[in-house]
Amino acid sequence: MFPSLNIGGLVLPTAGLVYILGAWLVLSVIERAANALDLDAESTYGLAAISLAASFIGARILFVIFHWSAFQQNLIGIVWPLTSGYHFGGGLFFGALAGILYGRAKQLPLSATLDALAPGLLVASIVVSLADFLGGPGYGIETSIPWGIDVFGIQRHPVQFYEIVIALAGLLVWWWGFKHRRQEGQMFLMTLIIYATGRLIVDAFRANSPLTESGYHIVQIGALSVVLVSGYLLSRMMTQSDEHEVAELS
Amino acid sequence: MQKSRLGWALALVAFGLLGLVWIAFSKQPANSLSADSNLTEAAIAGYLAPQFTLKNTFGQEVSLADYRGRPVVLNFWASWCPPCRAEIPHFQDASTKYNGQAVVLGVDQGEPLSVVGDFGAAFGVTYPLLLDSDNSVSRDYGVVALPKTVFIDSDGVIRELFTGIVNRAVLQDRIEKLLSEG
Repeated sequence: MFPSLNIGGLVLPTAGLVYILGAWLVLSVIERAANALDLDAESTYGLAAISLAASFIGARILFVIFHWSAFQQNLIGIVWPLTSGYHFGGGLFFGALAGILYGRAKQLPLSATLDALAPGLLVASIVVSLADFLGGPGYGIETSIPWGIDVFGIQRHPVQFYEIVIALAGLLVWWWGFKHRRQEGQMFLMTLIIYATGRLIVDAFRANSPLTESGYHIVQIGALSVVLVSGYLLSRMMTQSDEHEVAELS
Repeated sequence: MQKSRLGWALALVAFGLLGLVWIAFSKQPANSLSADSNLTEAAIAGYLAPQFTLKNTFGQEVSLADYRGRPVVLNFWASWCPPCRAEIPHFQDASTKYNGQAVVLGVDQGEPLSVVGDFGAAFGVTYPLLLDSDNSVSRDYGVVALPKTVFIDSDGVIRELFTGIVNRAVLQDRIEKLLSEG
């Protein structure tokens, strides 16, 4: 683990660096995917960039609102330091809202745009896993398997690498879906199913995963729900496509 | 078409059942924070906070273990560090506000007693200021830049580490989270 990088006297947090490089990579991947899908690449890139910025600002705004008593005598604290103090739900909400509004304003087709965003989201998950491995709090449960990694003297499941493998599998499925696509939105749903299935399996090997009061992994419950909903939507999409093809043939 | 729909439905039901079995199989003991019962000491979130004993500005020995059972906020600082000076009032306010419930400890990096004592008096610091004269505790906690703040829960497990200024709101938020988890 390398939580910080020392260059001369300069100390840089590795997770922060990975996130900055990751944001650039995610946006590039989305732009390329949009090009490959014959979408308006500039607008799709704009949607991703604006969602990213809105989620960052929204997460901060909601945190400030919820902790106003601590900020009202220190207004400069709202804008500095920015290394901590974000509300996850706020980021998600404002990011999605900005994306929807921008997409509507630019008249981007929803399903095809989601197809273009899917590889970017998978790359984003690789970035998060890598940052988590380098300087984050995530680690696996103890194990004696040969591919276990030594974390401060204890052999553990390399959960972040499992997550990276899942995301890579998702990218492969996206690529396969791209070559064999029949419906817009199909690639997004397929990659979502692969990724959520992977998280359902891998979260069992996380040592400090969030749990319900009764000890169930919250991420696993969410992942199973995502698989089932996405599977249902994909099944409807594919059966309708089959019916359409049969109708055309007859 | 009916066959295809039935196939999808069966696949989804089978996956749902398998998923539920896997979730039940992966279940952890109720109310456990972590699946890990064999934590080691390391300066990383999720691990036991490295133990130490240091002298405070009154010459008394203070151990981290003394505060087991209460959340601890460990702030590494030095009087020559402007960001450290900027956040000292936040720690003082938190120490006053959560007195008895949570503990704030300031670990000074390698400065003499006179400097730390004068600084504490000038800034009206009432929480313990500890002297890490040989920087051994700073090394154990991987302090490569100041300020650094470590949030430790009542079980002695590090929950978060921040390098740089921690603002008042974050400090309050994290302490209250630790207190609510009991």
